[in-house]
Amino acid sequence: MTMTSANAASAAPATEDADQVTAPARAHWFRRLLRDRAAALALLTLTVIILGAVFAPWLATHDPASNSRSIMTPPVWSAMGEAEHWLGTDGQGRDIYSRLLYGARLTLLIGFLAVGLGGFIGSLIGLMSAFNEKLDPIVMRTMDVLLSFPAILLGLALVAVMGQGVVPVVIALSVSSIPDCARVARGIAIGVMKQEFIEAGRAVGLSNLQLFQRYLVRNAISSIMIFISLRFGQTILIGATLSFLGLGAKPPAAELGMMASQGREFLLFAPHIAVIPSVVIFVIVLSANVAGDALRDVLDPRLQA
Amino acid sequence: MTAKTRSIRAGLGIATAMVLALPAAAQELTIIRNQDSNHYDPARTAALSGSEVLFMLADTVVGLDEDMSTIVPHLASSWEISDDALTYTFTIKEGVTFCDGKPMTAEDVAYSLNRWYDPETKSPVRWRMGDVKSITAPDATTLVYELNEPHSELLYQLAQSFGSVVDKETVEALGPDFGVTGFNGTGPFCWESWTPRDKMVLTRHEGYTWGPTNYENTGPAQVEKVTWQIVPEAATRTVAMLTGQGDISPYVPYIGVDKLRKAPTVDIVESNEAFWTNYVGFKITKDMVGDVKVREAINLAVNQEAMAEDLFFGEVEPAYSYISSGALDWDESLDDKLLTYDPEKAAALLDEAGWTLNSAGKREKDGVVLSPLAITFTGEWQTTVEAVQADLLKVGIDMQIEPMDATVYWGKSATDDFDMYVMGFPYVSAGDALNLYFRSSNIPTPNRMNYNDPKTDELLLTGSHATSDGDRAAAYGEVLATVHDEAIWLPIYHKPMQIAVSKKMKPFEAHNIYGAGLYKGLQLGFAD
Repeated sequence: MTMTSANAASAAPATEDADQVTAPARAHWFRRLLRDRAAALALLTLTVIILGAVFAPWLATHDPASNSRSIMTPPVWSAMGEAEHWLGTDGQGRDIYSRLLYGARLTLLIGFLAVGLGGFIGSLIGLMSAFNEKLDPIVMRTMDVLLSFPAILLGLALVAVMGQGVVPVVIALSVSSIPDCARVARGIAIGVMKQEFIEAGRAVGLSNLQLFQRYLVRNAISSIMIFISLRFGQTILIGATLSFLGLGAKPPAAELGMMASQGREFLLFAPHIAVIPSVVIFVIVLSANVAGDALRDVLDPRLQA
Repeated sequence: MTAKTRSIRAGLGIATAMVLALPAAAQELTIIRNQDSNHYDPARTAALSGSEVLFMLADTVVGLDEDMSTIVPHLASSWEISDDALTYTFTIKEGVTFCDGKPMTAEDVAYSLNRWYDPETKSPVRWRMGDVKSITAPDATTLVYELNEPHSELLYQLAQSFGSVVDKETVEALGPDFGVTGFNGTGPFCWESWTPRDKMVLTRHEGYTWGPTNYENTGPAQVEKVTWQIVPEAATRTVAMLTGQGDISPYVPYIGVDKLRKAPTVDIVESNEAFWTNYVGFKITKDMVGDVKVREAINLAVNQEAMAEDLFFGEVEPAYSYISSGALDWDESLDDKLLTYDPEKAAALLDEAGWTLNSAGKREKDGVVLSPLAITFTGEWQTTVEAVQADLLKVGIDMQIEPMDATVYWGKSATDDFDMYVMGFPYVSAGDALNLYFRSSNIPTPNRMNYNDPKTDELLLTGSHATSDGDRAAAYGEVLATVHDEAIWLPIYHKPMQIAVSKKMKPFEAHNIYGAGLYKGLQLGFAD
């Protein structure tokens, strides 16, 4: 595409508009986020967990798949604990701390992939739907149909066809994210489409693609991103549920939901095997939700009086 | 708490509430078990969950003593075997009645056995009957069972639930619903109702007096009502026994056995005559496990003893042989040749077979990593296979696991899409086990190994046709030696018979027939 002077000029309103919304906020938004103590704590927790997951191979004290003869060892702080296994061992004698790190890695990866993929496809569908009125009814009715598929049912069906693994779970979670993201993106985009600069763009003879890319996407993206961040916690939770049902990762890989599920067998005798991974899922989801909420409060232009 | 923990708690709560809701009058017995059968038609099911109920609902021509070797009179008061071992003549008792009151005759016995043998019935265990020429009832009290070839185990096999005597009219009236919506047998208990995957309710057969003579009480049963309650969650079964919501459970998880043993209200009844072996089988026609050296290496790399102690809390006997050395016709000369834990030798064998360690610590040959795929049931079996996986990883074998629900597993295990599979099986003798798994005619299932050896087939027939104990033991001994040499299986453990019993019950001896620890249920009664 050649950058004509008309193009350069017409791009200006969008940037200017975006700046109008975000520029005053951008200078402060992170500081304002941290001013919310709960949000700061949530962000800190998430960061620690994500770092732990990323650096799992260096932080782990044991091979997460390697078993040992000391089984169901309680965590180190209880009377029967062993210094070698900080959080104890599971029913196979595997180190729970090491499995937690690797488990969080897989759980977060599934969550990020699913939210990313589902969010991207969903937003694109929503934006296009708002942009093209002829497309709108067909696309949105299709989304309504998709919305009626529970993620868990979809996951079960996909696993039945594809076999157990991370891929069908990611697909199921992505697909279940698509309609929500599409609807929200469409709602935001409709608002943007009513703005005068869109009409101005058309008037100066911009192509649809240019209008879509430069005017619509740029102005809708921040609100959409906030929504997607809010979905992250929910997706992690459904992903863990699917793993708990035995649909996710294949053994001996560790995944938090799967670890909780395996610990269920020992609930009566060694509750820590199920409780520890469950607590980690809880903390991840809570932190993601609190941080997402705070992020919305700070970034959403509509909430800024 | 998290949603995860909450759902676990809720699940436990529901299961407990379900058990609590059971009637608990004094003469009503609640037996807790892990799973249901898909139906209760004796000739069409090989599932233990079917057999254990059918033993109570119906009777067989002969019975089996708790010692697992003495055949005792049951519906037949006596029998004669011809010198050529081809004709068995049974004298059927008089005065036996079905649950609906109709008298039972030798004609009904012949009908039931012929139905089992009829190819149209599609019995999965038809081979247990031998090569039948005819089964007839010349009069109301005589049954003649004629064979084309001798079948040395015939009486053992006729004691199994598959030979249960059923009422022809009911079978024909119900059609495919026989054993689903109703049943009519001569057993110590009668069918009252069945709610699939929930419970089976049986009521006492009044007037029953023809129980097998291994029991002091040959009838009627001591309890009025028996409820077989399904509790799928292992931990919940333990809790149900601890809290007295169930009276008997043959399905306590190993982790709970010791806790129950120490509990003041529960006893654990055990039996050493149990023959039930859990093993991992190799599909020997697949590249990954086609080499006997690889199969031997896998056998050597797995520490069954550690598994028995750690995963099963010392409640099981680690297995290195394919059948228990206590079973009939086990060849003792094999005892010293069994493959026991020796990871160094395993590594050496793999090197010898050309599977060498790569930079990632995995065994590799011609660019292919040694990564056999094992299919498994979820639950306890998955735990077992994960332990095998961890042991194999230590010698560089990258075993893959595909766990699946029992409803999917049975179908999948009949395909060619795996290198290793898991299975456990009850048996009374070497012949029983070997004929089931190693006949080439039993490919693809239960011979899921694709084991096809004409010599073995011949020896199995010889063993099955043998008329002397020595000949039979020799033939089966040779088969045992061959299949152990070929390392067709990786045996895991011999499962003991353990039954958790409330101390409210009178003491009794556990049975082992087909793994059904309670057998006819005539011994079950509440202490005064």
